[in-house]
Amino acid sequence: MTPIPAFSRRFLLAGAVALTALGTAPSLSAQEAQTGGTLVVASVQKPRHLNAAVQSGIATGVPAAQIFATLLRYGEDFEPQPYLAESWEFSDDSKVLTLTLRSGATFHDGQPITAEDVVWSLGVVKENHPFSSMLEPVEAFEAPDPQTVVIRMKQPHPAILLVLSSALTPILPKHVFDDGQDIKSNPKNNLPVGSGPFKVTAFEPGQHIILERHDGFFLEGRPYLDRIVIRQYQDANSGVLALESGEAQLFPLLDSTRLIRRLEKSGAMTVTDQGYAGIGPVNWLAFNTKSPALSDVRVRQAVAHAIDRDFVTKALHSGLSKPAVEPVVQGSPFYTEEVERYDFDLDKAKALLAEAGFGEGGETLKLRIDYIPDNEEQQRAIAEYVKAALAKAGVEVTVRASPDFPTWAQRVASYDFDMTMDQVFNWGDPVIGVNRTYLCSNIREGIIWSNTQQYCNEDVDKLLNEAGVEPDLARRKELYAQAFKQITTDIPIHFINEVPYHTVWSQAVQNPPVSIWGAMGPMDEVWLKQ
Amino acid sequence: MTAPARTTVPAARGPMAEAWDIFRRSPSAMLGLLLLGLVILMTFAGPFLYQVDPFEIVWAPLTPPGEEATIPLGTDNLGRDILAGLIEGGSATLAVGFAAAAITMLIGVVIGAYAGFYGGIVDDMLMRVTEFFQVLPPLLFAMVVVTLFQPTLVNVALAIGIVSWPQTARLTRSEFRRIRTLEYVSAMRAIGAGDGNIIWRVILPNALPPLIVSATLTIGMAILFEAGLSFLGLSDPNVMSWGLMIGSGREYLLDAWWVVTLPGAMIFLTVLGVSLVGDGLNDAFNPRMRER
Repeated sequence: MTPIPAFSRRFLLAGAVALTALGTAPSLSAQEAQTGGTLVVASVQKPRHLNAAVQSGIATGVPAAQIFATLLRYGEDFEPQPYLAESWEFSDDSKVLTLTLRSGATFHDGQPITAEDVVWSLGVVKENHPFSSMLEPVEAFEAPDPQTVVIRMKQPHPAILLVLSSALTPILPKHVFDDGQDIKSNPKNNLPVGSGPFKVTAFEPGQHIILERHDGFFLEGRPYLDRIVIRQYQDANSGVLALESGEAQLFPLLDSTRLIRRLEKSGAMTVTDQGYAGIGPVNWLAFNTKSPALSDVRVRQAVAHAIDRDFVTKALHSGLSKPAVEPVVQGSPFYTEEVERYDFDLDKAKALLAEAGFGEGGETLKLRIDYIPDNEEQQRAIAEYVKAALAKAGVEVTVRASPDFPTWAQRVASYDFDMTMDQVFNWGDPVIGVNRTYLCSNIREGIIWSNTQQYCNEDVDKLLNEAGVEPDLARRKELYAQAFKQITTDIPIHFINEVPYHTVWSQAVQNPPVSIWGAMGPMDEVWLKQ
Repeated sequence: MTAPARTTVPAARGPMAEAWDIFRRSPSAMLGLLLLGLVILMTFAGPFLYQVDPFEIVWAPLTPPGEEATIPLGTDNLGRDILAGLIEGGSATLAVGFAAAAITMLIGVVIGAYAGFYGGIVDDMLMRVTEFFQVLPPLLFAMVVVTLFQPTLVNVALAIGIVSWPQTARLTRSEFRRIRTLEYVSAMRAIGAGDGNIIWRVILPNALPPLIVSATLTIGMAILFEAGLSFLGLSDPNVMSWGLMIGSGREYLLDAWWVVTLPGAMIFLTVLGVSLVGDGLNDAFNPRMRER
């Protein structure tokens, strides 16, 4: 095996430095933070419950990151910082991760947070969380003493550090949740006792979630705010109006470029697209590689060449969304320039179609496109644009509307589609959010956001699997670059744009959540200027 | 209108000619006819005069009207020509309107005719069915139908037809109940005419005038219905219609008024035309108007 890889040595160092810095984000302004006040966060997400150990997604993720602490946290780059764990260390073979917990940390009910709670919580996540790949390589979680957690893996699993951060592996109180009930339907998930900077005191679905300061939080002096109210709005429009009227002060996960432009123009608010590198939201056109015409790679390439990404990002999204060209977003450490981009080239599209026997002299290619309903700018408008764009290459596209999300998901998951617009998140590490779309083993009928393209290339599988267990970051990057190059050559997906998620806040808000997890990270550092 | 007018019209002239006389003397009815005629002319002749594919992206998105000479009415959120959409969209919208009215009349007249003619238990049963449909909120019911099946033009027309027939059925029933007791119906029965013969060849023609008025108004209502469904995003995305233009443009209402306002104005003018014609027909067929 390799000696201590450079990657984990850096983590060790980070841990040591942060011991003194208490995990403060480097951006903390020179100004003295003021305490107190209520931050109202506008949201259009509708969480089913608040226990992120058994529920993925941003709706649960945002409140859960406030209610539950995780072992590690991230700042504005992909470097882990101490959180509940004050230091951590990999074994020489990178298969054993030992974490030391902060002493004196307590749950919201005053009970101490022990290694036993951590081990139990990680077990719950491994058993129940929809992202089964996160902790799949783990053989055992152990608690040799109340302050030490040992994670034993059957193979190196470099993604583990990210997995141990915000919203993915919340630390639950075992004495509360280990009550013999099925954790997925446990009524305590609505008002859980947590371990994070804020405790939830009210959850009215469709209205608000009220989070009060946890006085016994393990980071001295934090959180700065007395209270966070996550207020739910019917749509982004009313959320922005609330922001403008002063009713709310922070609006994360806003993706309407029309509204973002309006807020930018007014100048009264600060608008940023920072804080979404972790989520890594990609908007793309997926092909059913088993549908008759699209099983020919030339046809897929032709479709890609007929679509002008610039039109989408510049004209439809008024320059606010970034073009996407590969499985990961530009903010990901694994982003590479070495992929097939399929830039707009109508002549090439026509030539490829002719080669495949369509167009002039052959038959007219007829395709159907689906899209996720209720997302005008990112989905429906682009589907309609694809219809218009492909018409210029002589392809006849029918747009099929789905009345609601389950109908769309059912159609795509049962392979009843030619092409569909889709939106999929990276979730920080390819092992969590990227592999699922391409691995042969993940062609699972009936499951949305599995490999519904039915794409299978064993070389790609090999590269992705190898990269997943490669502890050396540079080597890992190289393996992913090779995999992404091959994926874009085979083109089961044509990447269109990164979802232009933006965070908006009013002037009073200081230290807004702009880490890689954005609002899905703890907001213990946020404060209000009075 | 005036007494001399009545004396100059010979009694021998048919009721339709008489109705037309009354109709053409009403300025509002003629205005309605003119509006409707213009709309129909535009949708049928327009595509030959203005040959632009309404789905083609021709210019920068949300270009205001008048800014570009080649695109007189501007572009929508995708950069598609609004004028081309208005022209091509008219035929789809009118087709839905007329088809839905036809479906409404078909179901309504058949059910109303049998209920009104036979009375008794047939009437009771058919009217319970009618009432069942009548108590369902029409727009909601149409939404459910379109959602259950695909939002295609045919399904939208069917949905509108299915939710709007009860009124026609009730109207037909009351006309039939009135006419079946008249002497000429008894006379037909006396000479041995069958039920079907009496219903379709004797009573129906005599019950027609109010039904024609009702059909006209149904067209206007169906067009509004289609627009309403489209506004909620339930229209066929592959056929350009005014409703579709409104549906996909509503998000941009505040930034680009023309995207929604122009097709909205077309719907307004068409429905206004249809209902003015309907009012004119109502007056023309109304015997009391003839007495004046």
